[in-house]
Amino acid sequence: MQPLETRLQFRSSLILLLTCVAGLSMITPAAAAETTTLGFVVRDWFTSVFNSKFLDECPEGLVIANDELWWRGLSKEERAKQTENGLIQNLARQFSTPRRGPNGEHVCHDPTVVTDPPLRIVEGKYSFGANIDGNIDGSPTPKTCSHVNFTNPDDETPGIDNQMYRLLGCVYGWRHGGLPEANAHEMRGTSGLGMILIEVSGVTDPRNSDDVTVTFYRSIDQFALAGDGRPLPYSSYNIEMKDGKPRYRDSLKGSIKDGVLTTERGDVSLPFYGNYNFMHPAIRDMDLRLEITDDGATADGMVTGYYNVDEFVYYIGGMTGHVSGGTNCPSMYVAAHQLADGYPDPETGQCTHLSSAFDIGAYAAFIIHPDKEERTAQR
Amino acid sequence: MIITSSRVRILGTMHARGAAFVLMTVFALTACGPSEPEISGAPPDMRRLTDAQYVNSITDIFGPQIKAESQADPLIRTDGLLAVGARSARITPAGFERYYAQARTVAKRVVSAKNRASMFPCMPKDVAAADDTCARQYFTKVGRLLYRRPLTLSEVGTPADAASEATKVSGDFYRGIAVGLAGMLTTSKFLFIIDTTEPDPGRPGQERLTSFAKASRLSFLLWNTTPDEALLTAAEKGDLDSKEGLKRQVDRLMASHRLDTGVRAFFEDFLHFDQFDTLEKDNIIYPAFTIQVAEDAREQVLRTIIDHLILREQDYRALFTTRQTFITGGLARVYRVPTKRPAEGAWIPFEFPEDDPRAGILTQVGFAALASHPGRSSPTLRGKAVRESILCQKVPDPPSDVDFSLFEDPNSPNKTARERLTVHRTAPACAGCHKITDPIGLALENLDGVGQLRTTENGAVIDASGDLDGIPFTDAAGLGRAVSANPATTSCVTQRLASYALGRSAGPAEREYVKYLEQGFADDGYSIPALLRRIAYSDALFEILAPLVENVTRQLKTDDYTTQEHIREKQS
Repeated sequence: MQPLETRLQFRSSLILLLTCVAGLSMITPAAAAETTTLGFVVRDWFTSVFNSKFLDECPEGLVIANDELWWRGLSKEERAKQTENGLIQNLARQFSTPRRGPNGEHVCHDPTVVTDPPLRIVEGKYSFGANIDGNIDGSPTPKTCSHVNFTNPDDETPGIDNQMYRLLGCVYGWRHGGLPEANAHEMRGTSGLGMILIEVSGVTDPRNSDDVTVTFYRSIDQFALAGDGRPLPYSSYNIEMKDGKPRYRDSLKGSIKDGVLTTERGDVSLPFYGNYNFMHPAIRDMDLRLEITDDGATADGMVTGYYNVDEFVYYIGGMTGHVSGGTNCPSMYVAAHQLADGYPDPETGQCTHLSSAFDIGAYAAFIIHPDKEERTAQR
Repeated sequence: MIITSSRVRILGTMHARGAAFVLMTVFALTACGPSEPEISGAPPDMRRLTDAQYVNSITDIFGPQIKAESQADPLIRTDGLLAVGARSARITPAGFERYYAQARTVAKRVVSAKNRASMFPCMPKDVAAADDTCARQYFTKVGRLLYRRPLTLSEVGTPADAASEATKVSGDFYRGIAVGLAGMLTTSKFLFIIDTTEPDPGRPGQERLTSFAKASRLSFLLWNTTPDEALLTAAEKGDLDSKEGLKRQVDRLMASHRLDTGVRAFFEDFLHFDQFDTLEKDNIIYPAFTIQVAEDAREQVLRTIIDHLILREQDYRALFTTRQTFITGGLARVYRVPTKRPAEGAWIPFEFPEDDPRAGILTQVGFAALASHPGRSSPTLRGKAVRESILCQKVPDPPSDVDFSLFEDPNSPNKTARERLTVHRTAPACAGCHKITDPIGLALENLDGVGQLRTTENGAVIDASGDLDGIPFTDAAGLGRAVSANPATTSCVTQRLASYALGRSAGPAEREYVKYLEQGFADDGYSIPALLRRIAYSDALFEILAPLVENVTRQLKTDDYTTQEHIREKQS
């Protein structure tokens, strides 16, 4: 009787369950005991948005959403008809108001069919995120286009690249408590879709390891939830397989110092689900920073990197809740392309990616590799 | 109405078929070891069905499609066992109401259009009218199973008459039957296991248990349910009055997978698992310990026991050191071990690594959580549980004026339970008991209040070392080895199993018998099935102390038996 071959997914202050690592069948027990593997399942994935107390970053106010533009376009007679004497319901508008193209086209599916007022974008100084391109003045490089950098509000670090925030920071739905982000979070929590697993291998000490490998997978298992709705740490999650191999398995090199995991940058494909969209964004030059709690049960951190504009446009085009989310697809489409600051198109020079930052929260997890033989877990 | 199962004499009359026989068979079992000492027995008795026995009986009599529940009045644990408390159990008015409500539910399901075809031996001539012949046929058949013996004609007449009256009112034969059946399900003859007796042809002037009473003892001991058809038939033939016949039936029962049910029932009682029904944990402190995990924890221990003791027939002592067990996804979270993707509720074989401090059932979540407080572990409760349940050693109750302030002070500089208990033990009134409980419980301090592994408490490293009756250990697995090596461990389970089988505390009068069992247990490599078989074969299991009572109208007379053949004869 043998327990499972796994990746070690947690640490406690002194006790550490170790597991064998994939492909180490030839490693001697003594050698295998030298490193351990940590595992996490990502529960929180929010676009990192800096909200000032008085909306200083959006001097013109929040974005004029699709609903308002639709309303402005109606004649008095149409308004009376549409609103049934002022009593039209929110739900009904969800489906009708985006169809304001000249021929009734859905402006989120076809965002160039109308020309809306320019998007109100963030004009503040501060943003969370990272200096992805390596310079602090936002000047173009071979991999980036000219842009305006932010400063980190916590420590005044300059050179923060976060054009995704500049794009979304004045859209109600992406600000704290906004519906699209909250709804996507809720859907991931209960659907078992878009489940990201993070496996940290080569760990010599869970608090300090100079050379670790961080690999990202997708889980086919749902969250195991406690009575209060939070995930239970130390649950087991099976990796999604395709043609005998993990469907997602991009890796980054990294290190752990004083319980903080950081990685080098690299291209990583991740699963994503939210607002009825199944996606697999490939984040370029992505890095991960994860602060692991002393007991190893949870971790919080940030993912930064360049997010494909087309991927983003696909997302807002396919999502529902444009009324509640305060979005406006045509102006967001235009602004997304204008604000793109990474990976210029070789032919046009127009950048194709938005520098981005995402706040993440994770729970210790056992990551199960269905393709590996069962092994005895070791302490 | 209060029915009390105090010591009563219930006289049966199953005239010993083949009664004058002499014991001719010598068991190989006894031939190889010491012979069984004689015991005087105890007066015939009656014991109330446990909840599990009630449910098992309904299921076995009517089929798995008839679901039943039982919430009988709680039994009082006596000398470590509820099974012993069952002989002094009572049915309160509220308890009877629950029995009656359940009886009506069961009867209604039995006579439902969906089930009646498979339940009834006959069809009424007119479903809208009473059919006394068919009703009597039915009650004769089902009554034999419910009362675990054939019924007298008058016993059949009572529900049949009730059914007839009810049919007249309702205009529905089956509703009438349900009324009669509900009545049978609430009689003491069903709700209590009754020691019916008859004159002992081998010992003039003495009574002995009837074959049917023996059948019930065997069946409830080995399967924890009512005798099946084969056992009742063997009883009818008088097979259980001969050593050979008895051996055949014991071997048959022991060979069945249903032995698991019987062994589970004993260990649930032995380990006080009825406490799981009221187990509560603070889900803020222990979010992983859900209701389902609590159920899994109970099942894990029992599953480990069955696998270890029955399926693999391993040494009982190794139950406290084995690293092999089974887990579910929920338990894996508490143990913090990985599991492959299990089907919902699936059990997965699991083995703790050699260097893991968890080994044996004392380190499983079930034991650790049960012997703890809702929000923290309890070395004292755990030590008491091991002393009393596993080693059969009585721990005195604490004095009424215990001062817990030193132990529970949140601002105490003493971070670990060991430190706090050391201070607590300075009170002379507390020191005596804690001296015998705490070294055991402190060995399990690496397991928190629900059995999750930990190495520190409030930032201080936990010291799990100690000793049990002179055997030192350094951690929980070491405690398991010490328990395994303790002579009281095997004598305790022997004594408790003997009491469980006899339905009464095995006391001074049974001392030699228990010693005989202990020796046999050792000779058999501490095999629980072998011990069970030895008990089931033994004369002591059926021995009663009942002088023949002359001039008594016996409850049952052979001529009154309502066998199917007899009914047909009467009708013809």
